[in-house]
Amino acid sequence: MKRLPLAAAMAAFFVFLLWSVAVRQAALFLVGIGLGAALAGARFGFTTGWRRLVEERDPRGVVGQLLLLGLAATLAMPLLGAFPELQAALGPPSISLLVGAFVFGLTMQIADGCGSGTLYKAGLGVPLNMGILPLFALGSFLGSVHLDGWLALGQTAPVGLVSLWGVGGALAATWVVLLAVGLGVRRWAGWQQAWWDRRWIIGAVALALLATLNLVIAGQPWGVVYGFGLWAAKAATALGLFDPAGNAFWSQAGNAQRLAQTVLMDVTSITNIGILAGALWVAARQGGEAAKPLTGRQWAIGLAAGFVMGYSSRLAFGCNVGAMLSGISTGSLHGWIWVPLAFAGTLVGIRVRRRFGF
Amino acid sequence: MNTTVFSAPALRALLFWSVLAAFLAWDWARSPALDLTLEPPLIAAGSGQAASGGHCSMAK
Repeated sequence: MKRLPLAAAMAAFFVFLLWSVAVRQAALFLVGIGLGAALAGARFGFTTGWRRLVEERDPRGVVGQLLLLGLAATLAMPLLGAFPELQAALGPPSISLLVGAFVFGLTMQIADGCGSGTLYKAGLGVPLNMGILPLFALGSFLGSVHLDGWLALGQTAPVGLVSLWGVGGALAATWVVLLAVGLGVRRWAGWQQAWWDRRWIIGAVALALLATLNLVIAGQPWGVVYGFGLWAAKAATALGLFDPAGNAFWSQAGNAQRLAQTVLMDVTSITNIGILAGALWVAARQGGEAAKPLTGRQWAIGLAAGFVMGYSSRLAFGCNVGAMLSGISTGSLHGWIWVPLAFAGTLVGIRVRRRFGF
Repeated sequence: MNTTVFSAPALRALLFWSVLAAFLAWDWARSPALDLTLEPPLIAAGSGQAASGGHCSMAK
């Protein structure tokens, strides 16, 4: 696609948001475009980074992600301490988190993309991820419908490290753990391996800055999954397939309000749209992602994985963005629980991926 | 004849974006009009208004 008509379309949508929706939403659309451009331009794939560490002992992607977490925390935690209006991404430690994170880590390898990965690859034109997007939304919606049942299996109150230890204590603890993980990663990869790459570093810095901008503007950390579930919830409700008033999650005041109003007022939805647009912009300049043709069986498995990924991300209170990046950078214990479970799932997912010839 | 616009990737992208645009247009058309006087502040930090958006970390 030529960039000029694309730029015109993006500008028109921006003006529409500015004039008819909210200035904040127009600003968040721009943040989303930046996020999409950074993800796609740097090919900043959380999923790929983990896989390369395991399969090739290549630590560069994971080091980039660790840098992103550290930078985002360094920016976000003091802001949370200074501005009471800002919210951390505090998910409850729960049985659903344990199950959801593991399954998410597994399925994201098969789908070759997590929440943000699905978005930017769909924007780049990768067929499997374009097909996964609506199924991810459906899975996320169903996960939200069932969430109350999962939480009844066991949960504790969310734990926020900034509230518990103060900004300094939470930030110090975060950096200590990130550095320890980094040392472990380097040891696994081998000290002679190149451990950083310009592409990943630039991506990490750009994403940290944009995620912080999202926090400052929206008052809450960057998220991906909620928007997907909301879109599917709206469709299901409009088709008469779902009654939100009878559901524990969607009958809650905030969710009910978001269900009733346009998705363009939803923070997560507008940044998701921006990410798609930003990735499309990169594709228009660099060309789309060259995707290996898949067999019918691989398509079926990939799409099924995308659906389960959406479902599990809801149970896990976020994906790589909502739980790992936003959770850890804003001091949520659930983010730290999410990572090892998701990584364990990824070890299985990589084998499944290999088994089916992806 | 320039066949680029009819390539499979281009058609796929067109379909994808058409479906997304149609969904957003449908949603906008059926949603109640927004009261622009009640729009949230541009910058939440320092606004005095707590964030009220949905997020995947929320249990409710």
